[in-house]
Amino acid sequence: MSKQNRSQKNPVSLSAALMLLLVSVLLLLPPGKGGAGEKFTVGEVEDVILMPWGVKLPARIDTGAATSSLDARELTVKNNIAEFRLPKKYGNLQLRLPVTEWQKIRSADFKERRPVVKITFCMGPKLIHTQVTLNDRSTVRYPLIIGRDVLKDNFVVDCMHSNCLSPSCPEVPSP
Amino acid sequence: MDRWLCLFLLSVLASFFLFTHEMVSAAEKVTIGTIEDVLLLPWEVKLPARIDTGAAKSSLDAREIEVKEDRVEFKLPRKYGGLQLRLPIVEWRHVRTPEGLERRPVVELEICLGSKRFRTLVNLTDRSMVKYPLILGRNFLKESFLVDVKLRRTAKPNCRGIP
Repeated sequence: MSKQNRSQKNPVSLSAALMLLLVSVLLLLPPGKGGAGEKFTVGEVEDVILMPWGVKLPARIDTGAATSSLDARELTVKNNIAEFRLPKKYGNLQLRLPVTEWQKIRSADFKERRPVVKITFCMGPKLIHTQVTLNDRSTVRYPLIIGRDVLKDNFVVDCMHSNCLSPSCPEVPSP
Repeated sequence: MDRWLCLFLLSVLASFFLFTHEMVSAAEKVTIGTIEDVLLLPWEVKLPARIDTGAAKSSLDAREIEVKEDRVEFKLPRKYGGLQLRLPIVEWRHVRTPEGLERRPVVELEICLGSKRFRTLVNLTDRSMVKYPLILGRNFLKESFLVDVKLRRTAKPNCRGIP
């Protein structure tokens, strides 16, 4: 009797299990990660690594800024080469980079022209090549502002958090 | 045999619930773009707002600001109707600007974004130089929003009949 019961039950529970498995797999698949369009969530502040020098900088993630900008001290431009130092707090490294263009800044009281250079940095798993405007940002808390130009392709911003992603590009040498 | 099937079923169910729970908590945050239209309540004045994770606090373009004891009187920009408002001052904020330190009155506003109402603090300042009359900063965004700068105007504001 009991043997007969079991042989009847087995196919039922087996098919139920398979059905459930199928349903759960189907439900889980669409929002799953992976694929070319994957976006990474970043916080209001993220650490990035400036390449190829390997300097770590905290960056303000700023959806209010169209472009990105870098805190450059003792900035001079000669023959279209910008020479400047990173803030002391972040190693004071001296850099020399070609000026790719000039950006006109208009604010309430003054007009300014700022040099733009190309830099490469690692944010999360992404190596990013972008233009940044250089100016002395000593009055502001973060040495790098990351604007919409960088954010638009690979990132969404969640303000509740800081440092959601640690820099993990394969190009960054391990410390 | 039956016991193994039960165990298998249970584990499938458990992982299923775990994952769906994760999905729900991620979905609670609404993704918005860089510019969103909002309604200022109860006046239903429509304003485009810049969604700005670089701003700690929200701010509103206020013209002809006059402080009268614990209240502040101001006008919205003419482009958005020029409505005159009188609101209690909640606090004063010192804001660092390229031009120096500024003291701004802070008021509480109710706004409609998408189909939800929100109360938020905004500081008042003459923003006639800037393109958008309302900046929504991190104090507003941090609870319930994700920002995707590839998007703009993700939802029309409609809070009629929503308490």
